[in-house]
Amino acid sequence: MKWANVRLFALNFWSNATKPKTFFLLYAIFMLLTAYAAVGSIQKHITQNDIRLEHQKKARQSWEANPDKHPHRMAHFGTFAFRINPSLAMFDYGIESFTGNTVFLEAHRQNSVNFSEATFSTGTLRFGELSLALLLQLVLPLILFFIGFSGVALDKQNGTLKILLSQGATWKEILFGKSIGLFAVSMIFFIPIILIVAISLLVFTSQIADDFLWMRMLLISLGYLMFLFIVSSITIVVSTQSNSPKNALLKLLGVWLLMVVLLPKSAQAMGNYWFPTPTKLAFQSTIEKEVIQKGDSHNPDDPHYNHLRDSVLTVHKVSKVTDLPFNYSGFVMREGEKITSTLYRKHHANLVEVYQNQNDVTRFTAFVNPFTAIKQLSMIMSGTDFASYIDFQNQADDYRYKLAQTMNELQMEYISPKKKSGSEGKVHVVDHEHWEEFSDFSHQPMSFSNSISAGLPALMAMLLWIGLAFLLLVYTSKKAKAI
Amino acid sequence: MIKYKLFFQQCIRSKEVWISLVLITILGIVGIIIGSKHLERQQNAIAEVRAHQEEHFDRQVSLHNEDLGLLLYYAKFAYINDLDPLSGLSIGQADVNPTVQRITIKTFEGQKFDTDLVNPMNLQSGNLDLSFVIIYLFPLLVIVLTFNLISEETETGTWRLVSIQARSKLGFIISKLLVRFALLFVVLIFLFLVAKFMLNIPLNRDFLLMIGLSFLYLVFWFSLSFFVIIYKKSTGFNALLLLSIWLVLIILLPAGINAYVSSKYPVPEAMSTAIAQRDGYHVKWDTDKLATIKKFYAHYPQFEKYGYPTDGFNWLWYYAMQQMGDDDSKKEREALSSKIELREQTSRWIASVVPNMHLQLYFNQLAGTSMGQHMNYLQDTEAFHESLRLFFYPKIFEQQHADTVDWKQFKPEYHKAKADLVPMQGMLPLLVASILLIALAVPKIRRL
Repeated sequence: MKWANVRLFALNFWSNATKPKTFFLLYAIFMLLTAYAAVGSIQKHITQNDIRLEHQKKARQSWEANPDKHPHRMAHFGTFAFRINPSLAMFDYGIESFTGNTVFLEAHRQNSVNFSEATFSTGTLRFGELSLALLLQLVLPLILFFIGFSGVALDKQNGTLKILLSQGATWKEILFGKSIGLFAVSMIFFIPIILIVAISLLVFTSQIADDFLWMRMLLISLGYLMFLFIVSSITIVVSTQSNSPKNALLKLLGVWLLMVVLLPKSAQAMGNYWFPTPTKLAFQSTIEKEVIQKGDSHNPDDPHYNHLRDSVLTVHKVSKVTDLPFNYSGFVMREGEKITSTLYRKHHANLVEVYQNQNDVTRFTAFVNPFTAIKQLSMIMSGTDFASYIDFQNQADDYRYKLAQTMNELQMEYISPKKKSGSEGKVHVVDHEHWEEFSDFSHQPMSFSNSISAGLPALMAMLLWIGLAFLLLVYTSKKAKAI
Repeated sequence: MIKYKLFFQQCIRSKEVWISLVLITILGIVGIIIGSKHLERQQNAIAEVRAHQEEHFDRQVSLHNEDLGLLLYYAKFAYINDLDPLSGLSIGQADVNPTVQRITIKTFEGQKFDTDLVNPMNLQSGNLDLSFVIIYLFPLLVIVLTFNLISEETETGTWRLVSIQARSKLGFIISKLLVRFALLFVVLIFLFLVAKFMLNIPLNRDFLLMIGLSFLYLVFWFSLSFFVIIYKKSTGFNALLLLSIWLVLIILLPAGINAYVSSKYPVPEAMSTAIAQRDGYHVKWDTDKLATIKKFYAHYPQFEKYGYPTDGFNWLWYYAMQQMGDDDSKKEREALSSKIELREQTSRWIASVVPNMHLQLYFNQLAGTSMGQHMNYLQDTEAFHESLRLFFYPKIFEQQHADTVDWKQFKPEYHKAKADLVPMQGMLPLLVASILLIALAVPKIRRL
């Protein structure tokens, strides 16, 4: 294989592809779409974060405005955690629109994360969302198919191919040359998008610095470069194996439909079918039952709490809880919070595992479907994937736990041991300075190392597909027929 | 008649046609199975709630018989959005929005938008239900069956023969199209029949309307294809053009419109309401008790006879505070619902000029799975919540014991989605679009 010849074929493909007027039309349409998607995504990112930060502030203001009161009232006053939209969500929405962004944090209760965009959307959301990533994952491959389907098939049909081969060109040179040519064409679509993203990141950086932002960007770019090369070589391979351009086009469209629409949808449906999600009631009542088994703080005859009380009394050598050096009811609530939180976390982890199992079906189809591989890689690196969402949930729940326990400790320390129960009134109260001392929730974006471990399968699938693309080109060049 | 028989044979002779017909039938059946699974899951959840509710009340009564106020702090009452069998065909928003809610008589706003356990990845991927097969995939089949209808004849040289021998060239094309249309319609009817028996759908107006609209949707895509192929361009060009139209209509346009609606109408009101309801209730722990109770009686004058107890903790004051969570967030709540309505109206208005979006929204409405209908369900849940309050408030204030209440009467209650639809409104956009396309093709027909 002579590189000079490969270059020749690549250049020839380039000039043939970019010359026709229809190409300019296509390009213009694509750029308009890019502009529309870019403006929309940037605007959405900024307004959403403004809204969320503003409400985080508002919620905090009313928290701090509380007068001196019983700390348990503060534990129920609670606060809100608002999820921050990561910077790269400007590029890839991932599952952002389907994940809630507001959760109320209070003692004893793990509330659901509410108000996803989908909650307030009509059925039109299900047709897909116009993001820059969608253009690269879904529209650009189709455009490459349109540009490249006749790449070899047309030469075959009009006999040019026979002349080329008889003049000393080899199949390998033709296939690699044309694939590189098509890949080069894809760059004039790809580079503007990546530039837009880079500039937006520089201009509109949010207050919260994402972990390894530019490293993420680099991985995303590399991922798409690989993806576009894979698509280009598949196009040329299919074109070579078809006896007419029409057949090549039909085959490629079939591939697109299968890999972009049908396979991902059915993989997720399959996961959902194989690993059914428990109902909310079943989930909650299992936890409730286990809590009661372990120790029910509301039950005056509960063995766990009776035992606890007796041992506390013995240690402090007193006979009544009101003689203890701390508020006993705060102590009981601290114990209760510990039990319920541990059980909740255990069951929530199981639930997340069910979801993971459902998603794994899709994740592993990345090895047979490069479109899924890039989709996964792209949203994981953008921080808009499932793992990032679970990360937020965990952060919020950790904060919730800390809030409840801090209030319980304040109660133990500052509320008179004589006050057995109840949190009403102005007598048994804690100074309001303590509210300010307890810092506000702030959503930390997913750490880069976690993203890497979540994205490893997708990254490996991508590398595998690059290898496969080369093998396919070599294999086809050995088997190909000129007629 | 023999002409149609021959056309039919010619059409089904090709392997690709067979494969695609079999494929779409299988996908359609898979879609129906997915729909029936969805309904089954809801039925299981309902059965679970029914069984649980009785047990739940028994436990609460045995724990807190003397303290009804405390009991109602814990007691949860189920209110169910009973899905129509048709929703198995068009799952719509029924997977995002919970259909089984268990509420307490405390502040309603704090519980209204609680979500079910859902995997967001499933939501994003969307449901492969029958409506998806009809809206996304049937058009592709129409394209596959028709894109080379004329161009194939011109490219193989048979068109000249046809133009000499056929009585009417237009008649020739139309009969060929009709054969293909009939073939697809048979598949469609077959799928609806399978759905009818698998999901036990009654043969009512809504079901027939769904079939009728699907029929018109096919007519629209055939008209579109007719409009394109009548220009007698090459096979490859037709394929490219039709598929680009499919891509724009089915994916890009709806995605663009959705982006427009969601960025034009963001919903900060949801978060404001959440904060307002929290503050509305919790701040009352520190404010004047008398003022809170007065405000409560301003809302419910009929309870004024229970007086103004302001010493220490009492349930009247507590539930008055809870009520303030709802009452003090009224402004934000109203802003939220008008924003949601605005979103729905805008989408529907724009959708009426994009046949596939129109069909999706209309299907969802027929099936009771649209966003608007979910809002109606939430409204009814609120009314249900209110009736519980009115029932229990006096009992709590009179400090009645829990066993004086007949708890058996509190079975889970059901909401049935209503679809007040004018059939003509559903058909009109599809009809207009088809007629427009055919009218545009008329000048070309003359020069066939």
